[in-house]
Amino acid sequence: MSHRASRVSRTVLLGALALVASGCLPVPVTEQGRDVASLYDLFMIAAAGVFVIVIGLLAWTILRYRGAPGRDAQLPAQTSAKLIFEVVWWTVPTLLVAVLAVLTIGVLNQVDARAEEPDLVVDVAGYQWGWEFTYRDSGVVVNGTAADPATIELPVDRTVAFMISSRDVVHSFSIPNFLIKRDAIPSRDNRFDVLIEDEGTYSGQCGEFCGLLHSRQVFEIRAVSPDRFDRWLADQEAATP
Amino acid sequence: MTTVEQPMPDAQRRHVLKHADDGLIGWLTTTDHKRIGILYMVSAFIFFLVAGLMSLVMRAELAIPELQLLDLQTYNQLFTMHGTAMIFFFATPMVIGLANYLIPLQIGAPDVAFPRLNAFTYWLFIFSALIVFGGFFVTAGAAAFGWYGYPPLSTKTFSPSVGADLWVVGLLLSGVASILGSVNILATIFALRAPGMTMFRLPLFTWNILVTSILILFSFPVLGAALALLFIDRNFGGSVFTTAGDPLVYQHLFWFFGHPEVYIIALPFFGVVTEIVPVFSRKPLFGYKAFVFATILIGAYSFSVWAHHMFTTGAVSTVYFAITSFLIAIPTGVKFFGWIATMWRGSLWFATPMLYVVGMMAMFLIGGITGVFLASPPIDYAVHDTYYVVAHMHYVLFGTSVFAMFGGLFYWFPKFTGRMLDERLGKVQFWLLFVGFNVTFFPMHQLGIDGMPRRIGDYAAERGWNDLNLLASGGSVLIAVAVLLFLWNFWTSRSLGLPAGDDPWGGHTLEWATSSPPPHHNFTSLPPITSDRPLLDLRVRGPVRQGGEPVGPSEDERAGADDGGGRG
Ligand code: HEM
Ligand SMILES: [Cu+2]
Repeated sequence: MSHRASRVSRTVLLGALALVASGCLPVPVTEQGRDVASLYDLFMIAAAGVFVIVIGLLAWTILRYRGAPGRDAQLPAQTSAKLIFEVVWWTVPTLLVAVLAVLTIGVLNQVDARAEEPDLVVDVAGYQWGWEFTYRDSGVVVNGTAADPATIELPVDRTVAFMISSRDVVHSFSIPNFLIKRDAIPSRDNRFDVLIEDEGTYSGQCGEFCGLLHSRQVFEIRAVSPDRFDRWLADQEAATP
Repeated sequence: MTTVEQPMPDAQRRHVLKHADDGLIGWLTTTDHKRIGILYMVSAFIFFLVAGLMSLVMRAELAIPELQLLDLQTYNQLFTMHGTAMIFFFATPMVIGLANYLIPLQIGAPDVAFPRLNAFTYWLFIFSALIVFGGFFVTAGAAAFGWYGYPPLSTKTFSPSVGADLWVVGLLLSGVASILGSVNILATIFALRAPGMTMFRLPLFTWNILVTSILILFSFPVLGAALALLFIDRNFGGSVFTTAGDPLVYQHLFWFFGHPEVYIIALPFFGVVTEIVPVFSRKPLFGYKAFVFATILIGAYSFSVWAHHMFTTGAVSTVYFAITSFLIAIPTGVKFFGWIATMWRGSLWFATPMLYVVGMMAMFLIGGITGVFLASPPIDYAVHDTYYVVAHMHYVLFGTSVFAMFGGLFYWFPKFTGRMLDERLGKVQFWLLFVGFNVTFFPMHQLGIDGMPRRIGDYAAERGWNDLNLLASGGSVLIAVAVLLFLWNFWTSRSLGLPAGDDPWGGHTLEWATSSPPPHHNFTSLPPITSDRPLLDLRVRGPVRQGGEPVGPSEDERAGADDGGGRG
């Protein structure tokens, strides 16, 4: 390999590494989110490999086989297809996506899994432009608008099921740190379950364009210890007339 | 327009048309595929400028948090019309323009199969675009529900503006224009090939357009159905897509069209790349038949992946659509290897067209890779409808419809006009565009990963999205400068560019075997056609007996291929 070519391939490699290092998901804070993040990391490794190989080949070819400019330059050897190459580059991508598909389906089953008896069920209703949260067993309701968004609390280490619906147009219930969203569709119910592992405050937002104030259809989730959560819920219940 | 009662002898017909051709009236009434092609390309480029301007305004608004320039309603109209115009009035008609100009030339035909239908199609497209843009001039403003217009948001209750009706009707008409255009192109390719131009000797650009036309034929009617039903819902109480019916059915219909549409844009530009790479490598394409097969496979698969746009609805089979979406990466990857193998051991000439084409490969590679991420439902759940998707789709759409388009325009401009575009300006433009594009769109991956949703005109300063947004907006200025440079280059080179001659690049395909610009009916004589690269064959094999077969066996015969002579 020529000197220039090796320098280029090194640059490409470093660039790809920087890419991998920077392209990380937000810190996942749920059990399901951690599964998604590890899947994402595996995809990132495969992506970096593909990127380095293809860009490397391309860069090397460009540097190695530069010819003279002009339409009348000498023609190179007129090679054409070779079966062995064709077989290789139909097979390798097929194997790669097969592996990615298997990994995907494993995680998909975990992310889509629904608890038989979740510890807590929260009904989530989207509307133009806010969210209403109803805690099913206690009947506590928290709602918000674009000007005054809702803030709710949830317990860590408990399975929480969100039952998602809409009162008007399509919205999407999305919490970036949970690495998940589900559409809120009128006349249809949707659901996902999470087990929050880390305490903290997480912002949420509408993920599907829903009209004028879509950008302000936000909410906040405070994940707290189960004890604190129970107290908060009792306070809310007492405050409800 | 001259009415021809009976077929005229060719010479006489040319004479009559020549007089009608001069001046503005000649252009407005033309049925010549080359002029219609140019009209399409120029109009599409104007819509690119309009939609590009809208995006610059959006980027200016997003440069810093909260609202400064616009109100939210205007922002919502802008992204809706930007997306709509880029897809329906820039990328798609640019493809049809290139096809119009090049297909008859590449297959050795005098014109398209139905020249008058062709003119009608063009004017219908212009009419439809004016209807959609008319939305800006009605009181309540243009459509503001995103380029895919999901109900119930797009129903009258939530989007009462007449602008929304104009959007529906305009897109419906533009769909009719696309369908008629594709019929014309298919008829041309099937019926008007020169003797010797068998299906397996068609240039790859023509193959890609052939498959694209089939995609148009199968997908646009479905869009038409969805839009017609939406129109009925909006104006006559149809209740198809309202909660009384099912809003999700619209999503299925739209994406059954919408995903093939992505390939309607991508495939022709893959075709452009596949034309340019061999010419500037001075070698035949590596694996012609594999390219044809990959193209057909991509076209077929593109009808099976639509609901990957709907993973988060929780109402589709995620596993099925994930697997079909993964599969479509394979034939696309194969094309990359074919391009690189064509360059391998070639003698590469880095003229401007080749520069853009390599740029396209790098950009589409990134867009393709992020596409595989999005095909995985758990990852899609996380980044769906965030800026990650905005980044992904611009790497795919901009990579093809802008990078490969500029490659194609630099490559074929000499054929269109007889003059070269300035190479030096072209190279400066390329680097500006390349840097500007990546500075604008690469950071958006991270913004999306950090949870920034798409389609928001403002965002709170505390979310941590400020720096990357500022960076992205800065990059968009570089893109604008690059495009202005092209306009300057185009304007001056039209009359002052270096004379190009018939074949400035050493082209492989028939369009280079005639004058630049070509005469009214394209060819006075054709070289023998024994492969997909008749002109390269001439150069490799040397002189040919007048009107006879070239000396020595053709590549196809040596490879033991079974497609004989005559029309395939
Ligand atoms: C000229 C440089 C371009 C810039 C600076 C640009 C910028 C943008 C911006 C800021 C958005 C809105 C993002 C949001 O709020 O969600 C957007 C959306 C979009 N762009 Fe571009 N874009 C460019 C070129 C293109 C091209 C060439 C195409 C296609 C051929 C395209 C297709 C789209 C589509 C389909 C959308 C989505 C619209 C929607 O959400 O309904 N853009 N672009
Ligand atoms: Cu919403």
